[in-house]
Amino acid sequence: MTKKIMIVDDDPVIVKYLENIFKNSGYKTCVARDGSEGMKIVKKENPDLITLDLEMPEEWGPRFYRKLSKEKPFKNIPVIVISGLSGNQYAIHKAVASLTKPFDRNVLLKIVKDTIGE
Amino acid sequence: MFKKILFATTGTPSCDAAARVAFEMAKRYNTELFIINIFGIPSRSFSQVITDLRTGDEIDLHDDQLAKIKNKLERRYKQQIRDYNTPHEIVLTDGIPHTEILRAARKNEIDLIVMGARTSTQENTGAVNRHIVGRTLQSVARSARCPVLIIGRAAASFWGGISNIVFGTDFSKGSNQAFEFAFNLTKMFNASLHIFHAIDISSGPFEFTKNQEVIEDRIREVRGMIRKRYISKMEGYNDYEIDVWEGIPYVEIVKYARESFADLIVMAHHTKKMAPPEESVFGSNVEQVVLRSNAPVISVNHPARQKKIDNQ
Repeated sequence: MTKKIMIVDDDPVIVKYLENIFKNSGYKTCVARDGSEGMKIVKKENPDLITLDLEMPEEWGPRFYRKLSKEKPFKNIPVIVISGLSGNQYAIHKAVASLTKPFDRNVLLKIVKDTIGE
Repeated sequence: MFKKILFATTGTPSCDAAARVAFEMAKRYNTELFIINIFGIPSRSFSQVITDLRTGDEIDLHDDQLAKIKNKLERRYKQQIRDYNTPHEIVLTDGIPHTEILRAARKNEIDLIVMGARTSTQENTGAVNRHIVGRTLQSVARSARCPVLIIGRAAASFWGGISNIVFGTDFSKGSNQAFEFAFNLTKMFNASLHIFHAIDISSGPFEFTKNQEVIEDRIREVRGMIRKRYISKMEGYNDYEIDVWEGIPYVEIVKYARESFADLIVMAHHTKKMAPPEESVFGSNVEQVVLRSNAPVISVNHPARQKKIDNQ
């Protein structure tokens, strides 16, 4: 079954870029523009993995993660932090990885593949 | 609650996490931000020669030099100054760092001092790596008349708001003051207040550490104390949690803050004396929490000390 990746990011350029990377590698995608939209989309789409920006206008990534980790059906969805913020590796200590923008697409795909398979 | 914030910085990357917290708080809570940098210590009285605090070099202080230091500081925080667009003032001065920070706080009637715990940029000698807080921070936290917000690690930076506040209590008089402050913050941010106490089993009597039933009886007793002492003063505010764990207090507070996704930890700072660095390897609980925590820590002074300082 095709795995689904949810992209949580407010930057449409990054969203498009990530969508292309994942779709070209055979993954399905869904998108949320910030943390508050993120929870609705998670419940609707039940993704296998989430890529999460940290700094977003309505609700920052860590807040979204906090809510996510309180929801039993979704709390174990692996999260990859992708952010331009310095020290982003410290923001969510249970994230499977933290990448700083600009990032290497091959590194990202390897993490995704290692985490949820192809 | 906060009209004026003083951000004390060395202008080096070691203060970047503290800068993010200071600018974010100033912007979100619409406060005036004072950025203070103590760039050197005068070599001798009435001398224009100062010892640069970062390099240790003696430099001749003249207007060009001052402008250069100011320019460097502005360059360091250029993006934040531009992005946050918050009213700010840069204060440059020479002198003993903690004295000047406290002086600036008094003079400008500061409501909150923000600073990093890590003052040295040298990896092998920095405070964090020696598991002690810097002398400047120790002195400021002990003597400030306003609360001091300390960012010990990059992990303790600002990650999007304050909605979970952990108040760590040891039931001291200082903790009463800290609770009042934590509760006011909780109301201001419309946050959840986590009231936490760690029963110290590292230094208690043998019977106490041996017998889990004794510990659990104590936990129940402490929960009752929290209800009586703090919950009764919360005017019906019901977004709170009470938790009592056993262990080494500072380790438990750090673990609890991490597990409860704390954005902020509030504790009383009531260490009476300042231990020499070589003796303060483990320091007070608040100092250890500052160094280890994933969340910024607000250290609140003992009321009696604040009163004494105010009368000086």
